[in-house]
Amino acid sequence: MKIDLGLPFALAAIVIGYFLPSLLGGSSAIYSAFLLIAIFAVMSYGLDLIVSDMGEVSLAHPVFFAVGAYTTAILSVRHGVGPAGTLLATIGVSLLFAVAMGLITLRLREFVFSLVTYSVAVVALTVAQNWNFLGGSDGITGLPAFEIGLFGFEFSAMTDRELWPVGFLLLLVTLYVVAAFRRSRLGHAAMTVHLNQKLAIMSGIDPQRTRMYVFLVSAPITASAGWLYAYQRAYVSADVLSAYFLLLMLTAVVLIGRRVLLAPLLGVTVILFQEKFMSFGGYIDRIILGCALIVVLAFIPGGLIGAFRTLRQRLRRPSPKQALEAR
Amino acid sequence: MNVTQQILNGLVIGHSYALIAIGWTVLLGVAKLVNFAHGQMYMLGAFVTWSAISQFGLPYFLAIPTAMIVGVAVAFLMQRVMLGLTLKQDLVSIMIVTLGFGHVLHGAAGLIFGSTGKLLDTPFSLRDVYYEDLWFTHQDILIVVVTVLVFLMLKLALDRTTMGRYARMVAEDPDLARLDGIDVRKVYFGVFAFQGAAVALAAAMVAPRTPILTSMGFEEVIITFAVVVLGGIGSVWGSYVAGVALGMFTAFFGALVSPAYTTAAMFVVLLTLLVLRPGGLAVGPGGR
Repeated sequence: MKIDLGLPFALAAIVIGYFLPSLLGGSSAIYSAFLLIAIFAVMSYGLDLIVSDMGEVSLAHPVFFAVGAYTTAILSVRHGVGPAGTLLATIGVSLLFAVAMGLITLRLREFVFSLVTYSVAVVALTVAQNWNFLGGSDGITGLPAFEIGLFGFEFSAMTDRELWPVGFLLLLVTLYVVAAFRRSRLGHAAMTVHLNQKLAIMSGIDPQRTRMYVFLVSAPITASAGWLYAYQRAYVSADVLSAYFLLLMLTAVVLIGRRVLLAPLLGVTVILFQEKFMSFGGYIDRIILGCALIVVLAFIPGGLIGAFRTLRQRLRRPSPKQALEAR
Repeated sequence: MNVTQQILNGLVIGHSYALIAIGWTVLLGVAKLVNFAHGQMYMLGAFVTWSAISQFGLPYFLAIPTAMIVGVAVAFLMQRVMLGLTLKQDLVSIMIVTLGFGHVLHGAAGLIFGSTGKLLDTPFSLRDVYYEDLWFTHQDILIVVVTVLVFLMLKLALDRTTMGRYARMVAEDPDLARLDGIDVRKVYFGVFAFQGAAVALAAAMVAPRTPILTSMGFEEVIITFAVVVLGGIGSVWGSYVAGVALGMFTAFFGALVSPAYTTAAMFVVLLTLLVLRPGGLAVGPGGR
């Protein structure tokens, strides 16, 4: 099922999407939920490229998210850099991390690759908790408000409601980048490596280089979510490396379906809707999130879209009797 | 620094590392499976032992098998859910599913045992031994003895028994083993059950050394990973040697540099090895 949005439809969806929080009542709880959905969706899209397109599981993506959050916090609190500067720095630092990670894991595949990336995330957590440069266990507090003044354009945001346009714009840019990646030569190369590595090599695609480039596209996306998350929370601590974000990303990526542009956004929406408006407390929410991940992968590997498609095919398939009569 | 004391610490830590990792060694060596919920199963084993002793008043030697039975039950449930993925050898999905299980266990343990730390005291952990300027507990001696026994028994079981022979055959070639009439599913279930029991035993032995929290378990996975890869994936003796070596490294790094960064340092050692030899110090499947 390929959804061809078409330009007018896409524009209408963008306009409706932007005004959706106010259409839903416009309370500050609604705006907070929408802003977090936008941030976590952007975070998940970075992982989506690795899981859905490269077909491998990076468990180190919370590190890229943390790189964005910590870079932003350190530069804005200690050096007074504004949002545009922190965004540029976030992209730069995350690229450096991605190169380092890519070089180390260049020749590792499958479970060794996943184990190393997982270890990177756990080790990063212990380092963040202990290193004074990163604020230790207290983290970094007191981030300034999100204020941009460039070429006579003034923008200032204190609340989640005021930050929503930034989150929405970041989400749109991310969607555009992901869609462009999937149409690009690199996107096709990644899929070829994923589906048939031997064929990829015979077609002149270097799998290792491809993976490195996909990492370089993926890391800044997840890191830029960390950038906005730092402003939204106004403080950054080692929490950003907790297992919750990893589970959230993974579940959002697989829940709806692979390689569907809007799937991670819908996945994050479903998860956050449950956590914000139908929460059963932290521990039970954790069980729900874990179970969602388990059930999808073990029993409906195509995600909800896949399950829906199978169901529809079953309903449409005529019974043997009807098939005979149709002859 | 008291060098003899650190060697002693290293030996105890090393044996506990080897014991924590033993289930994974078999899991990876025989079934080529990985289990990210390993750390949370360790956490669960520690809390079941604590609960059996403190809440139900069971003696320590009965609390240990209780924890092991719970460990087997959890492993059995996990393997039941993942059976389809196991038979397809869909490693990528298996890894994510086990991460999900870890998250569920964390949530469930928080719900049952709360978020505060507990002290898991055993009759052995409270008895100290002072010898000249050295100090250790009876629990430390128990850890070393039990670890050596478990490794010897596993080695004998893999080499000498029918079950061990089946396990090695499945490790070598699951399809061929199936042709020979071996029920591959039973072997997978057996391997998973062993992992569940072994990690619970490790928790009942090792966890009394530190306060226990439901949020623990992440570093145990890194330790296990390091032991298994350094030891040569699937090698029983290799895991034992790698465990003890890493224990020594931890003891001396903690004493000389900083105890906060031991996991990070261990990981750097592991990374260096992996960059130099991407396959790990691999031995043949089901290797010795």
